[in-house]
Amino acid sequence: MNPDSNKKIIQTGSLPLGKFFGRGEHWLWLTGACLSVALIMIVGLLFVIVSNGAGFFWPKDLTEFTLKDGESTQKVMGILMAHDTLREEIPGGKGIRLIPETQFRVGNRDIYAADFVWYRDENISGIMKPKLGVALERMEYGNFYGFMESFKINDDVIATGGQAWERLLKELPLVNRKRKAAEAIKEHEIGEISHEIKEATIQLNKLKRNTHPTAEQVSKIEEYNQFMVAKNEEFQTLKDKAQKILDEADDYSGVFKTADGREKVIPLLNIVEAWQPNNMSVFEKCIFYVRQVWGFIFDDPRESNQEGGVFPAIFGTVVMTVLMSLAVTPFGVLAAFYLREYASQGPFVRAVRIAINNLAGVPSIVFGVFGLGFFVYFVGGTMDQLFFSDYLPTPTFGTGGILWASLTLALLTVPVVIVATEESIAAVPRGVREGSLALGASKFQTICRVVLPASVPGILTGIILSMARGAGEVAPLMITGVVKLAPELPVDLTFPFFHLDRKFMHLGFHIFDVGFQSPNVEASKPMVYTTTLLLILIIIGLNIVAIRLRDKIRKKYQTGAFA
Amino acid sequence: MDNTEKSQDTQKHRQAPAGMKRVEMDLSNESNADFNTLIKIEDLNLYYGKKQALFDVKMDIPDKQVTAFIGPSGCGKSTLLRCINRMNDLIDGVKITGTCNLDGENILSNKIDVIELRKKVGMVFQKSNPFSKSIYENICYGLRIGGINDKKILDEVVERSLRGAALWEEAKDRLHDSATGFSGGQQQRLCIARAIAVEPEVLLMDEPCSALDPIATAKVEELIVELKKQYTIVIVTHNMQQAARVSDYTAFFYLGKLIEYDRTATIFTNPSLKQTEDYVTGRFG
Amino acid sequence: MIYTKMERTFEQDLQSLKDNVLMMASLVENNLKRALKLLVDRDDSLFDIIQAEEKQIDLLEMQLNNQVVLYIARQAPVASDLRFVLTVVKISSDLERCGDQAVNVAKKARTLNNEQPLKPLIDIPRMATISLEMLMASMDAFVNRKPGLVVEISERDKEVNEINRQLYRELTSFMVEDPSTISRCLLLMAISRHWERVADHGKNISKKVYYLYEGKDISHPDALS
Repeated sequence: MNPDSNKKIIQTGSLPLGKFFGRGEHWLWLTGACLSVALIMIVGLLFVIVSNGAGFFWPKDLTEFTLKDGESTQKVMGILMAHDTLREEIPGGKGIRLIPETQFRVGNRDIYAADFVWYRDENISGIMKPKLGVALERMEYGNFYGFMESFKINDDVIATGGQAWERLLKELPLVNRKRKAAEAIKEHEIGEISHEIKEATIQLNKLKRNTHPTAEQVSKIEEYNQFMVAKNEEFQTLKDKAQKILDEADDYSGVFKTADGREKVIPLLNIVEAWQPNNMSVFEKCIFYVRQVWGFIFDDPRESNQEGGVFPAIFGTVVMTVLMSLAVTPFGVLAAFYLREYASQGPFVRAVRIAINNLAGVPSIVFGVFGLGFFVYFVGGTMDQLFFSDYLPTPTFGTGGILWASLTLALLTVPVVIVATEESIAAVPRGVREGSLALGASKFQTICRVVLPASVPGILTGIILSMARGAGEVAPLMITGVVKLAPELPVDLTFPFFHLDRKFMHLGFHIFDVGFQSPNVEASKPMVYTTTLLLILIIIGLNIVAIRLRDKIRKKYQTGAFA
Repeated sequence: MDNTEKSQDTQKHRQAPAGMKRVEMDLSNESNADFNTLIKIEDLNLYYGKKQALFDVKMDIPDKQVTAFIGPSGCGKSTLLRCINRMNDLIDGVKITGTCNLDGENILSNKIDVIELRKKVGMVFQKSNPFSKSIYENICYGLRIGGINDKKILDEVVERSLRGAALWEEAKDRLHDSATGFSGGQQQRLCIARAIAVEPEVLLMDEPCSALDPIATAKVEELIVELKKQYTIVIVTHNMQQAARVSDYTAFFYLGKLIEYDRTATIFTNPSLKQTEDYVTGRFG
Repeated sequence: MIYTKMERTFEQDLQSLKDNVLMMASLVENNLKRALKLLVDRDDSLFDIIQAEEKQIDLLEMQLNNQVVLYIARQAPVASDLRFVLTVVKISSDLERCGDQAVNVAKKARTLNNEQPLKPLIDIPRMATISLEMLMASMDAFVNRKPGLVVEISERDKEVNEINRQLYRELTSFMVEDPSTISRCLLLMAISRHWERVADHGKNISKKVYYLYEGKDISHPDALS
């Protein structure tokens, strides 16, 4: 008779320690703790990025103060950035003195040559926030902080004071539109003509190289010459048109004064955005914020990537990720099918599998080097020899481009897709396969009609993982086609629409470039966080699309309840 | 198997003395049909690598009747069943010697088109395995892979097969719903419908009811009795009562050998060998 | 041929059925012997015992039937087990009738004992002995698995039938000669008939036993031809 059988089983109080460990309860706490640590790290990472990056576009208040510089004083206006404490040794070895400092962004690089400056708190006095303080985002030399004096058309003062400001706000959008129109002409129409002229020149040169041209070729040369003349005329016309638009807009300008009284005339063409930070309500600030974010996403970069938007980088990242996925999917899935279904499972196949898995451990820069050597030089060079010899010595495909970069990354992520596909194929129950074969289907028909549809969710998982991995890689891209500043997008409206030979911009590289290769490190620090946040959001977005697609397909192929 | 003596007995049963009312004796599934051999198995030996699983199996399987294979686990009955539609080819290292003649052709030879064979010899598995497609597509599968995609033909075949499997009433309003929404018993009948859609000659059933509850089992058993009017059925079963209820002929296997093969009525009332007797009465396992 | 023979729990049920049949057979045999003694030794005191034992026999038959029904419902027997339980039902029915015959003989013998003995009883005891031997032989065949005994038992049945016919002729001539013997003769003829029935039952039991062990039904060989 079990001596414990009469023991009461109602538990009062907490479990005694011996039982706690005996039953393995401590594992519950351990595993929970580990998960919590992981979650905290993720949340912490996101918090750091968001807090540093998201606040970038919020219009911060302008602070004006009096700076004591030795014996003289100076009025300074700028944005309060950060506080810090400087540790200074007291002369005579009497210990360490702590000196608080504050960092201000004073802008006006064309006047002061410095953008971010640290001032000792003891030198700062008379802090105030003038309502009429004006901040301007400019096409060059960064931001301007000061006060508006007057509004001029050509040389005539049209308005002063508050009215000048209102006039500025009214005219600025029109001027911006005109500037964008002129840029559009330059980019699209003039760009197209440049292409055509370039093409024609190359053909012409090819024909001209003939020492004994036939009559047909001679007439063709004549044709080309006429064509060139016409195009050049067009070119000039368009250029004039663009210039005219700019000239119209060039009439407007504003006269501004810095905090310490220096005057500066700034034409409206140079101004991207103007606002009075201290004079805005929360609602107005929100709208400003949204406009800035919009601009960030959709504008082109300025000032060697330190300012402006990151649209080309976003575009390049998305296009490259899509190309990479399109390349890796058939390659990986078909390889996995062969490995799992057709190959006889001997030592050779096992070796192949090990090799594929180890491929995932190869440093990504090695893939970049392989991409450069194989895709760029060998394949690209051969393609140039065969199809684009007219353009040589300028390489078309024989240099880095979005195609080679995507293929290199596809190679990098192929092990992920192969493994995921193999697992999902193996997960298709044997009974379903046998059922298909028993009905007189061939192996190929069974794979096509039964195994493949059922393993699509797993394949999509593999693609999602590969997208997530590939979209974040930077090192291999740097040598196979990413550039700091790309003149054109890889996909545009000119035939043949997909320019796979073009170099492109990438958010990951952009972060590296902005963060570590820019002259104005302080200004670009928040930009790094913002771009990082953007990259994370884009990857999350791509993943969510793929996950929803997978869930929809998974529901369709869900195996039913077992009897 | 003592064919001639048994048929003489049955002849005696049938001829009633003159003037006397004829007494119809339904000796459990005793078919009125004569024994026409459809499948002739001779000297069949099967090896899994070095291990021999079937030893000199020799039996004739009758046309349009139900033959049951019984025997303890691992005795080779499922293995023999799978020889008839060459499903053992899927396992590496299987070697089969001997002949198995279906309609005069030896289906174990290399020259046979296995895919065509499997259209003639259908199979229903122990665990129902409907595809993750609609009911309609499940049944059409066999036809589509044969290249038939004409909607009118497919519609007609689907209805015929579902009716043949006693599933039409339950399925006719859900033809395009997923087959996996069915219960276990319905799924198994769906698999039967799918198998008969291609109109095979032979239907092989490997323990079709072992995963089903009693009512679903009863429905499938009723179905089998109906189906034997059109198809030759070979069923492997662990359930003695099922073999007794459903089959016309029963073959008892043990350790890869065919021990006894006779009319079901005989096996279950008066088997010739003690070993058979011990097995069907449950005295050994 | 290596296989593991299992001891199944239902074997006990089958053994119990067998034991009950044997018990019933022994009760019936004893009652028949008592009936014969009542007749031959003119001992009326045996009558009450015979009645009491008859009740036991009937109860046993009911109990056997119940057991068989339960066994079939639970075990769904096949092959020899199935033949066994069916045979048990039939044997118990035959034995119960034998018991009834014993009572019938006892009743008629008691009536006879109130009158003068007609003639020394030779044939009837001889018939009775053979019938009892047949009954015991059929039970021996059942218990000891000797289906072949049916041949011998069938032969002895012919013997009994012959004695019965002979006795009928003899008693008929008695009745013709001396009408005052008619009532006694009729009683004797009836008693003879009862014993002849007992022999028939013995033959039937042996045929059932043959079916049990050989699987062939030889109850009515004439119907097949």
